[in-house]
Order: sequence, then structure tokens, then C-alpha cells
Amino acid sequence: MNQKSVLTVTLLAFLAAAFTLPAPAKAKVGAMAPDFAVTDMHGKSHKLSDFSGKFVVLEWLNYGCPFVGKQYGSGNMQSLQKQWTAKNVVWLSVISSAPGEQGHSAGAKAVADYKAKGSNATTVLLDENGAVGKAYGAATTPHMFVIDPKGKLIYNGAIDDKPTTDQADIKTAKNYVSAALTEALAGKAVSTSTSQPYGCNVKY
Amino acid sequence: MTPRAPLVSSPLVRALLALGLLLGGLLAQQPAKDTSPHSSAELVSEFTTVVPGEPFTLGLSMKLDPEWHSYWMNPGDAGLGTKIKWEKTGGVTISDVIYPTPRYIPTPPLASYGYEKEVMLLLDAVAPRTWKPGETVTLAGQADFLVCREVCLPAREAISVTLKVGPEAEENSDWALAFARTRAAMPRPIAEVKGLSMRAAHADGGYLIALESTTPSNLANLPASQVRFFAQDPGVIQHAGEQQRLLAEDELVLFAPISEYSKAPAERLRGLLTLPDDATWKPGEAVHALSFDVPVEAVGSIVMPVQSVPSGGVPSSLLLILLSAFAGGVILNLMPCVFPVISLKIMSFVQQAGEHRGKVRSHGLVFAAGVLASFWALAGLLLALRAGGAQLGWGFQLQSPAFVAAMALLIFVLGLSMAGVFEIGASLTRLGAAGSGTEGYGSSFFSGVLATVVATPCTAPFMGGALGYAISQPAWESMLVFTVLGAGMATPYVLLSLFPGLLKRLPRPGAWMETLKQVLSFPLFATVIWLVWVFGLQTGIDGAAGLLAAMLFLGIAGWIVGRWNAYNISGSMRFATRVLAALAIVAGLAFAWNASAYRAPAAGGSSSGAALWQPWSPAKVESLLAEGKPVFVDFTAAWCLTCQVNKRTVLHRDAVEQAFRDKNVTLLVADWTNNDPVIATQLEALNRSGVPVYALYKSGSAKPVLLPEILTEGIVMDALADLPTHSTVSQR
Repeated sequence: MNQKSVLTVTLLAFLAAAFTLPAPAKAKVGAMAPDFAVTDMHGKSHKLSDFSGKFVVLEWLNYGCPFVGKQYGSGNMQSLQKQWTAKNVVWLSVISSAPGEQGHSAGAKAVADYKAKGSNATTVLLDENGAVGKAYGAATTPHMFVIDPKGKLIYNGAIDDKPTTDQADIKTAKNYVSAALTEALAGKAVSTSTSQPYGCNVKY
Repeated sequence: MTPRAPLVSSPLVRALLALGLLLGGLLAQQPAKDTSPHSSAELVSEFTTVVPGEPFTLGLSMKLDPEWHSYWMNPGDAGLGTKIKWEKTGGVTISDVIYPTPRYIPTPPLASYGYEKEVMLLLDAVAPRTWKPGETVTLAGQADFLVCREVCLPAREAISVTLKVGPEAEENSDWALAFARTRAAMPRPIAEVKGLSMRAAHADGGYLIALESTTPSNLANLPASQVRFFAQDPGVIQHAGEQQRLLAEDELVLFAPISEYSKAPAERLRGLLTLPDDATWKPGEAVHALSFDVPVEAVGSIVMPVQSVPSGGVPSSLLLILLSAFAGGVILNLMPCVFPVISLKIMSFVQQAGEHRGKVRSHGLVFAAGVLASFWALAGLLLALRAGGAQLGWGFQLQSPAFVAAMALLIFVLGLSMAGVFEIGASLTRLGAAGSGTEGYGSSFFSGVLATVVATPCTAPFMGGALGYAISQPAWESMLVFTVLGAGMATPYVLLSLFPGLLKRLPRPGAWMETLKQVLSFPLFATVIWLVWVFGLQTGIDGAAGLLAAMLFLGIAGWIVGRWNAYNISGSMRFATRVLAALAIVAGLAFAWNASAYRAPAAGGSSSGAALWQPWSPAKVESLLAEGKPVFVDFTAAWCLTCQVNKRTVLHRDAVEQAFRDKNVTLLVADWTNNDPVIATQLEALNRSGVPVYALYKSGSAKPVLLPEILTEGIVMDALADLPTHSTVSQR
């Protein structure tokens, strides 16, 4: 390479570095999951570190989103929550919709929605300023994260492999969260640890 | 009142009743609810009559309310493509949905690919041979899709089309235009465009895509900065990630960052390379998107095209860079930031003129050494920070409130001393004199250092380019540039000391010196006001008050030292006053330290009052450019005096703002008062590392024109002259 192209390659290396930098640091599988402090629907404050020693599932939630409607309308999300919380997994639904945006919820309304939908999540976290969502890089509702008892992120991605709003697809879909929890609880490595999440964008 | 029976039996009433029932029945047949809110979908055929065994094309024509959109096969970060479930096909073989080129829909921090207003998706079909001419056949099914604005709604539409079977195909004239338009909007496989070929390779953090041309003219006039890669598969690239392009004569190379959800780099890249609507890949034809499917080669198999330093007017040869750096260094002396130190220095030359000539020469050289040493220290620091990955640039010192406070207090104390509150000669400047044989050399060295430190926030013309170049060069080259910069700055002083003849022109020392010294304290206090203002922007009104309190205490300490002068007081008195002064200094520093921990409220970080100027972000620039709008970016900082002068005397003048408005230029402010890595990154991309930088992006070009760092109304007007006026843009 002549001197000029060395220069260009150097420049491009800088540019490449520059263009990856502005992206917010998102939760990475294999790394420690970002800690957070946020209040839930009962006004109680929770930190991720409060749950150390347990598996934690984070589920990004917006009841107004048809992709979420697919999961709750079919009862699939509720039964997943029931199935895994029974195995001592902490299931946290997170609402990152900003006030005034679709899906935003607070206080009594959040509790009423929780009851009306028959949710079995451990609790619903109200991330009104989107800080938790942005720390994790939550892109869609639903967007699922699984954290192991040591606080390491072991799954980041979609709920399943059928990106549709059709409830009928749930039966034939492979549920990535169940698969990850099944493997992790058995002490195995998670085989599908990331997938492209699908759904509505989170209304920050 | 007439009896009822005859009325009911009247033919007119019976007819009305019948009509009512009929209408009621029709209404009852209406679906209870629109299954496709804010949208509609209709199945149409390109041919009303089809021939057995022959291919034909179906279209799903979708209409969307304003602001709503449907999605491409890969919807991006959110959304869903369109699916058709067939219930009746009459034996027709029907392909999957074929999508025309979608639009890129950024919704930071996410992005999608989709369609607005209206779109037709195509389906290739083949009529079975078994059909008999004269038959009619109905195809029916259901289209499922998603429409989103801010919220998303699932849409479902029952679709059907009835075809006649005949010996000869008959075109559907109602839809012929729509089909023709849709075909024109289809991406073109790259193999069909003569003279173009494509390769892809892994790169650190993403993929490189190289589009090579055997006929150079093909690529020459492309708006390279607006080329975007749409990946066909989910989980391959970051849809909202910034793509980077380099265009050489015969090659366009694009970098797309890898998806955070991909387990391993993709084996093949499939998707589209898109251009804005007014550009084409194929001269003479409107080809806005190329489709391709290529294997991904190993890292390093694509070599970047050769391109000169991408910044208008920056010379690429080292000699020119060094000359610029030298000139920049000399001009640095004329910058407002250096003014107080120049006045300090002039005073010291005046004093030295009364001493030996040789001594003056040595002072000049020591001063130069001080300047050079601090430039080396700065360069070393800059290189160390760069190596550490910190996104910092020239002027970064003043982004730290603690540093601003320290500078303000130092200059305040110097000002007090010059105003005559107390003598500083015995204390501060002697600190540096300890190591040298002759009293005062340390002071000269120190003022050289001070001159450099004070100068950093003001980037003189040429220096921006030289520094921007230096920061992206090997360490030895950066050091060389910094050395020459420092040499440039020190030259006037060295000349003055080497040719003391020049000094003779300076007035003889005398009583006027005390007056001059006191007068020169005012520029120092002016500098203090500016620094307090900078500090106030960083830390808010509470922080500024804390810093002023710190100055009060230092003022008290200075007054104590001056009032109870060491020469005329007893030992015990000296001890008591010095303890009090020390206590006042400690209290002052504590106030300053405390104040520098405050942070100004995040909102309104920009000091520009006008709503005309909006905060800058790379995404905003990109989306404005994508809309074809010109953009002007003011990279500024509160601590940069040149920036403030330009703002007040040029940019915010009514005539200039009106000119921007006439040309429909969107005005953005990138405020670097507090350290912002995104801005540092952008400055580096522009080959600059300090502010001010004024970038004018003309419509359709992502490579901005950089204006000089000292602006005049004429410079701005000239730069705007060849932009179209507002009215022509809005007529488009």
C-alpha cells in the first residue's frame, strides 16, 4: 500500500470507530446486566441486585401493542409467567412508554391492567423516563432478557421465532425464553442467546 | 284522522317500507368493525383475461392514511411485513410477495423499512393448463399486515379477484399504470446493470460492501453520503446504525455496523443498496435500488479506495500542514484568549529592556521553551487520552468545571496583583525561579506555559486543520505538528528578544508602568468574567455563586497579604496574618471545589436564545439531508471566545438569519461546552479537533463546506449564494 492509502485506511478506521461509538452501550449477552433502580406498580423500589441469586426475566410491555396482544390475548405470556415464577424465577414486566405515549401506565391503572390481563409476572416496573429500557437497549414490545443468578445476561431478543401478530402462530413457534430458561436451569449453556427482537417500537 | 289500514296499504308507503328493509339489510351486512384501520388492501390482476398455462401478475394494492406506514419483508427494528393466506387459488401457482424498494424510516434510536401513502406488492402467478377458455375463476384469501404511526395496529383484509379465462390475455386498463409504476420501483438486480459489480467482506464491527465500476463515470456524480444498505435478513446489521461511505473514482465502499443480535457474522449479505429518489444507479434510467446477494469474504479482502483527506482545503502534504501549523501558532497571539498574557508579557519585556541585552535574549528563549514544553505536554496528554479512547479534543481543558474554576481563580488573583492589591512577584513567579540561576527565568518559563494554557480554547484559523490532521496521525507526526504550532506562537517573542533593537521602540520604564500595570488588570478581570460565565453555564447559577464566593475569600487573602506587607510587620503579626490569609485561601478553594460539582440543568444547554437554532445530532443532519434540505451546523462552546464573537457579530445578526431563512437552511447548534463524545467524534470526522467549526451541508451532499473560523457577514452570504432560494424549494 502506498502512503496515501495507509492514510485513508487509518482515517476509515477512525471513522468506523466513530460510528460505532455514538450507539448507546447496550446490554451484551455474556456481560453483567446493567443494574437499575426503578419503582413498580405498587410504588415499591426495586434494584436488579435485589434479585441476585435468582434467574430474572425482563419483559418489555405495552398492552396497546398488537404483538403484546398476541401473547396476552392467547394467555401464552401469563402461562409462561406462571410456569417460570413457580420455579423461583423472578419475572419483571417493564413499561418504558413515556407519559402520554401508548402503553404508559402508572399507579392504580397499572395494577388494574395487571389484574384485568391476569398477569402472573412478579411485578410490573414503571420505567417512565425510559432509563432501564435505554440501558438494556430494549427496542420492541415484547423484547425479552434473561439474567442468571450471578447477574450475567444470558438471553437478549425476541420472545419466539414467529414475528407475527397472529395468536395461531404461538403453537408452532419456538419460545426462546422458555428454551433459555430450561437450558440455564439445567446448568447448560443457552444455545440461542440472541435473536432479533420483533414487535412495536418501545414508545420512549 | 284517517284510518291506518288504507295508509299502510298505499303503494307508495309499501315501496318506502321495502326500501327501508333493503337498506337495513345492507347495513346489517356491513362488517361490525374495519379490520384494516388507517389502511386498505385490494387484490388486482394485471390481466382481466388470462390464458391457461401462461404467467400473469397479481398486485396487492395498499393505501395508507397520511403518516401511517406498512412494512418491507424485513421490517427493521419494529413492524411486520405483509402476508397473504390463500383460501381459493383455483389451481394457480402463486409466488411469495415481491416488494418494491421501501423507504428508510428512522425513529431514533430505532429504524424501520416501509411504505407510506400507497404501495403495490406484486405476486407472480401461472394459470393452470387445465383451465378452459370461457370459464371465470375467483382467487380469494386474506392479507395480514401491520400499520404503524406512533402506535401499531394489525390489519386484516379479505381479498379476492375474479379472472376470465380466454385464448388471449387482456390487460386490465384501470391498473396498467399502477403496475408499470410498481415495476419501475422494483430494485434492480446488480447483474442487470452493466459495468457494476459488488463484493462484501467482514470488517471490525460490521460489514464492508464494495461496489466496483468498470466505467468510472457511473459512480462519479453519486450522492455517496446518501447511499444506504438495507439488509434483507433480520439480525444482520443495526438498522439504525450509522453507515459510512467512501467514494473513489471507480469504487464506492460502504461500512454497515453489525447487529447486536447476530450470533456470528453472516455468511452472505442480501439486500438493497439504495439512493435517494432523484439519483440513479444507471444513467438514463430511474434505478434507485440495486438488489444483491453476495458471499461475505474474510476481513481485509476489501481494500479501501484511495482518497485524499476528506476536508475541503486541508492540504495533505506534511510540509503544508506544518506551514499552516506555524502560521496558526503566530496568529494565536492575536486571539482574544491570549490577550491578557500578551499584556503580561509586554510588561515583562518593558522591565527587561532596562536590564542587560543578553538577559533579554535568554528570557525570550526561556519563554519559547515554556511555550514548547506546554505544547508537548498537551500533545502527550492528547495522545494519551486518544489512546485511552477518550473522545476529547482541543479545548478539552475548559470542559472540566474544576479546570475552569482554577483558571478563573488564577487569573483573578493575577488581576488583583496587577491592580496593586498585593505583590505577586515575591510569591508565585519565584516558585518557578528556584531551579534557574538567574531570578526571573522561571517566571518567563511560567508565562510561556500560561500563554499556552490560556490560548487553548481559541482555535485560530489553520490550527483547526493542522490539529485535526495531527490527531489522526502517528504519534511522532502529531508531536511534530504540535512543536511547530508552539514554535509559531513563541516566534514573535523570540524575535523581540533576539533583536532588542525592536525593544528600543518601547517606551522607557517609569512611573507610567505602575499605571499601565493597573490598567492591564482590567483585561484580566474581563477574562475572569468570561470564565465565570462559562463556569455558570456548566454548573448553573449556584455554581457561579460558589465560584464568586471563592473569589471573595481569595480577595480577602490577597488584601491581608497586601495590607500587612511582610517588610513592615513583626514576626508574630506576620504569622497571624499569614494564617488568616491561608484560612481564607482554604475557604475559597473549598467553595470553588464545591461549586464545580454542581451541574447546570440539562435543558437549554445551548446559550443561543433563538428558536431558529436547534440542537444538533448526527441523525438530525442525516434525516434533513435525506429530505434534500440544506443544513448549517455551528460547532461552538461557551468557553470559545471566537465562537461567541462570530455568533454575536455575524451568525445571529438579523440579516444573516434572514438569509438562512430565505435559503431554507436548517440551523443546528452543536454545543461542546461540556464534553460530548458525539460532537468530538463528528469534529474528528471533519478533520477538526476544536471549535469553532462552521459546516454548511448543501442539499444532496453529505460532505459539508467548512467556513473559516473567523466569520464575516460576507463569507456567510457568499457561501449561501449558490443555494436555491426558499420559494424554488417549496415549489418542488
